[in-house]
Amino acid sequence: MSTQMNKNILVSEVMLSVEFCPVVSENVILKEALEQMGKLKLGISCIVDIEGKLLGILTDGDIRRKLLKSQKPLSALFVDDALIHSIREPIIVHPSDSLFDSVTLMDKNQVWDLPVVDIHNKLLGVLHSHRAVAVLLGIKNE
Amino acid sequence: MKMKKKIIEVGYGSVNKVKIGSNMPLAFIGGPCAIESREHAFKMADLIGNVCNKLNIPWIYKSCYDKDCRSSPESFHGMGMEDGLRILSDIRDEFSLPVVSDFSDSSWSKATGEVCDMVQIPAYLCRQTSILRAAAETNRPIHLKKGQFMSPWNMKNSIRKLEDFGSEQVLLADRGTFMGYNQLVNDMTCFPIMSQTGYPVCFDATHSIQLPTSMGNISGGQREFIPYLVRAASACGINALFMEVHDNPVAALSDANTVLDIQYLENILSQAKIVHEMRLELIEQFGEDNVHPNE
Repeated sequence: MSTQMNKNILVSEVMLSVEFCPVVSENVILKEALEQMGKLKLGISCIVDIEGKLLGILTDGDIRRKLLKSQKPLSALFVDDALIHSIREPIIVHPSDSLFDSVTLMDKNQVWDLPVVDIHNKLLGVLHSHRAVAVLLGIKNE
Repeated sequence: MKMKKKIIEVGYGSVNKVKIGSNMPLAFIGGPCAIESREHAFKMADLIGNVCNKLNIPWIYKSCYDKDCRSSPESFHGMGMEDGLRILSDIRDEFSLPVVSDFSDSSWSKATGEVCDMVQIPAYLCRQTSILRAAAETNRPIHLKKGQFMSPWNMKNSIRKLEDFGSEQVLLADRGTFMGYNQLVNDMTCFPIMSQTGYPVCFDATHSIQLPTSMGNISGGQREFIPYLVRAASACGINALFMEVHDNPVAALSDANTVLDIQYLENILSQAKIVHEMRLELIEQFGEDNVHPNE
């Protein structure tokens, strides 16, 4: 089976909009952020301020590393603010970025998801690798 | 990421204002456990005030009008809300002193908040949503005691409730944690853990040495440990010290086995103040505590 790669597709055409992404406010505890990730079946949680601006992200990998490093009881870790365990300056993409370039960026940084923000850093959605690659390969329509 | 440290101010109207928080002088909260009579309440306010004035320690008078958590129905329950609050109000006026009292029933909160400069939530009720809501609705600073059954980090849930109900003036206290039955232990790490909420923390020394209901139908206590625990907590890092004080503990109508005899108050408070000030100097000299790189 041959596939035709469309390099003109933009991130905005493929990204998951915020209602389909785990998005939590800055005062949410770690346990609540994890629940959101499980509910929406994504390995990323985006933490935003009251205006919806991206403050940080939390990923499955961050949690794995935290569990190996932290010596706190799990019950104490659960009530920490999710924000304090987040990556504060994550790699981001914009809706007008090329999907091809964004997937290349994912590969380069070995990440599965990228938050999509506007020029004011307001969160617009998440670019998820499964969907991105499927659309890029023409397996799935945007 | 460090939480912004909050400073609370206790005292409305013309009474002395007591600020409690980071880098502030150690505040004292004290008085007889229960309001026993008008004469006794005034006498204790005068005696404690003399010590605090001599040592230049900001303080808040504490006494309760209804002791709803007594072990026995035969024990002194308190003089009642109306009479008790009238006495506290008169003490405020007479001594220009902020006062604090607890309430165990939501319906008591409004009247308590109208008189008291600070309202207190008993440790056994520290996670009751209706009590927390009632406390927040008084719009007074709240003295929230960690339940003996609670972990210090789980107090954040009660804090979140209070914040949801509009309160951002909270003092978190440790009064010991159950270790098996009828016994308490003080875990000093609870102070830095509860401080991570951003709110000031308090050590309740006289309840920490309590042996809950250890004497069948009343609680015992080992008050000989008060000085040790006060020095330890002050060195660890607290913003306020709480102790129940009585001029004749043997005859005290409530918590007779734990209240501090007034004759030792100056000694204990002097030490607490010195250790507290030394801790602030150490922070000044060596910086905030941190042994984790990159944090």
